[in-house]
Amino acid sequence: MLLSFSEKQIGALLPAFLHIDKQLNISAMGPGILRHLPHVRMGMPCAEAFDIVNYDTAQFFQEGANVQPVSLIARDSDVHLSGAAIFHDAGCLLAVRFAITEDMFADSSMDLSDFGHADPVILSTMLIVLQRAMLEESQANAIELAHERQRSADLLERTSRVAGYMAHDFNNLLSVIRLNTDRLSRQFGKDEKIGKLAEIIQEMAARGSEITQSLMTLSLQRTDTRQPLAVDQVIQDNMGVLDSVVGSNITLKLNLDADGRKSVVSYSDFLNALINLLLNAREAMPMGGQIALSTSIGVGRSNSHADGDADTDMAASGSYIAIQIADTGIGMSDALLARAFEPQFSSKPNGTGLGLASVRNFAAEMGGDVWLESVEGMGTTAYLHLPVARTVAPLVAAGSSPPNAGTPNALGKQRILLVEDEPYALEALVEMLEAEGYAVTACTSGEEALLALGQNAYDVLLTDVLMPGQNGTEVARDACIVQPSIKVILMSGYVPDSAALQPGWLFLHKPMESAKLLQLISG
Amino acid sequence: MYGMIHRAMRQMVQEELGEEAWLALEQKLDIGPTELLTGMVYDDALTLEIVAEAAARFNLSVDQTLEAFGQYWVRFAGQGSLSSIMKFTGQNLASFITNLDRLHLAVGSAMPGARLPTFSTLENAPGHLVVEYRSDRVGMEPFVKGLLQGLMDRFDACGEIAVVHRGEKTILFDIRYQDKG
Ligand code: HEM
Repeated sequence: MLLSFSEKQIGALLPAFLHIDKQLNISAMGPGILRHLPHVRMGMPCAEAFDIVNYDTAQFFQEGANVQPVSLIARDSDVHLSGAAIFHDAGCLLAVRFAITEDMFADSSMDLSDFGHADPVILSTMLIVLQRAMLEESQANAIELAHERQRSADLLERTSRVAGYMAHDFNNLLSVIRLNTDRLSRQFGKDEKIGKLAEIIQEMAARGSEITQSLMTLSLQRTDTRQPLAVDQVIQDNMGVLDSVVGSNITLKLNLDADGRKSVVSYSDFLNALINLLLNAREAMPMGGQIALSTSIGVGRSNSHADGDADTDMAASGSYIAIQIADTGIGMSDALLARAFEPQFSSKPNGTGLGLASVRNFAAEMGGDVWLESVEGMGTTAYLHLPVARTVAPLVAAGSSPPNAGTPNALGKQRILLVEDEPYALEALVEMLEAEGYAVTACTSGEEALLALGQNAYDVLLTDVLMPGQNGTEVARDACIVQPSIKVILMSGYVPDSAALQPGWLFLHKPMESAKLLQLISG
Repeated sequence: MYGMIHRAMRQMVQEELGEEAWLALEQKLDIGPTELLTGMVYDDALTLEIVAEAAARFNLSVDQTLEAFGQYWVRFAGQGSLSSIMKFTGQNLASFITNLDRLHLAVGSAMPGARLPTFSTLENAPGHLVVEYRSDRVGMEPFVKGLLQGLMDRFDACGEIAVVHRGEKTILFDIRYQDKG
């Protein structure tokens, strides 16, 4: 015999083993059987203690030879055992183990001692249980990380909002300083010493304003201004950038014919929209080609949708600046065209799908429209229509002769309704505007302004945005209802949400320069 | 050590001293959820930093805290999704300790990179065990003592745990116990 083991040793390897002698009685058993099947005793006929699955016990042992698989069920309990029956001269060794499932881990009376060290089922079941526990904890980890990220984002958002408020307040102070320094120069600037001091203050205020600008950029606040811009001029001023956007194998042909007309837009947003449309055209021509960028003036409704969408229907009957960007690229199918402006939709492998969607937002915010027309194989044309800024009658300089008849004031002066809750700023603005020949009605709150609107007609509403009570955008909205021809100029230390601004409203970023303000008022 | 251990430590601090105490500890050590990832192996130095910082808050020595944590770990593992495997490891003190290596063998396969100890039962008589703890880590004696105490608690036993020998990599624990009640 090559190896021989004691019963104890076999019990350590196979705690649930059994030995059946030639008379088919139990002649040895492992410690697991002793622990869990106390009714099984030495010398007991095997058939009294166990059923052999699919066999008659006597037949199984009599016919068996060498090694055979075997499954047993203990009588008087539902314990299952399985393994191999090894036949030898003195009988048969049942090298079996308790059959255990994962659920039995938690509520069986068995434990590791009832299984052999090399029992692969036990090892893998333990592994599964451990991995499941780790997976559960990992899910908790993921949730904790997500919360942490949210907390950081919230903190950043809060900090940025506070920074924005601080910049706003500081801008207001700078605005008062700038306006009053202008006042000082106007009144006493002839005195060289005072003029010099005013210049120093002005310069320092300008530097302070640069600092608040950086603070606002850092805190992701918008710092742009909405003003009437001559579309052709902006395109011409930026030809260098636009040329590099289309790339060297594409020719960019210009045909600018908007006649110097202006549209009220934010400079950077307009430029972005142009760049996005050009990029779209460029990507349709990987092998090169030509892009024609043209502008013209149109009158009446813009015609993006034949069925007309009231909300985006640009300045229903006003005139518009039509910008066309036509490429000679591959064109787009109707299906692509229909989805081209959807956010996150892109037909390009590396596209984000945000470009055209942002152009659509821009056009809508400005009261315009954008759409594409395309012929497959021939090219695509993008149409961007923007409303022409209303022209306002030129102002009357102080002391000059009475002007246009149409103005609401009998003396021919343009009437400005000025709303500003900061008294020093209000005082300085009133003085400056009156000095320029405007008739100014000064209000320190939105409520006061609404009363004034009910009583008199105004050409211009010049209002601060953030004020206690009725804010500037609310006043402007009501003013446009009561007096639709009024020109709205908002001024603020921070840029209000675009959704709160109506197309055509002008926006001036504080701290503002008097000259810039006068330029906006006069159009 | 594995992040799982850090999470247990967090739970102990939270249960005994409250949520705020743990947040203060996190802030002091400049750690957060990224130092509490279950399946991540962290430098023992970090684990010890956490223990030391917790010790300061418990007003205990580091060794006392390690011992308390050992005791706590048995309760921690005895709850939730690890409870079934704990139950399956052994249903009395002697068989549990005898089977600890088999438990850690499975842990080693599920958690690669874990440096796990070995426990050999040198003597196993009713009410008396001599257990040899072997590890390449140093300074874990109070932790193991706490764990063994935790196991006695788990099996409703009371008694004495004494260190009878300290070798280079081994410590011999003598456990005399009797079942309560
Ligand atoms: C389900 C239960 C258990 C799990 C999942 C588990 C898992 C672990 C893990 C992950 C480690 C850390 C290894 C590393 O990161 O390098 C560890 C270490 C350790 N475990 Fe366990 N363990 C369990 C139960 C126990 C119990 C009941 C004892 C009781 C004596 C014990 C004694 C130890 C000791 C002393 C260490 C320290 C390692 C060293 O000394 O080097 N464990 N265990």
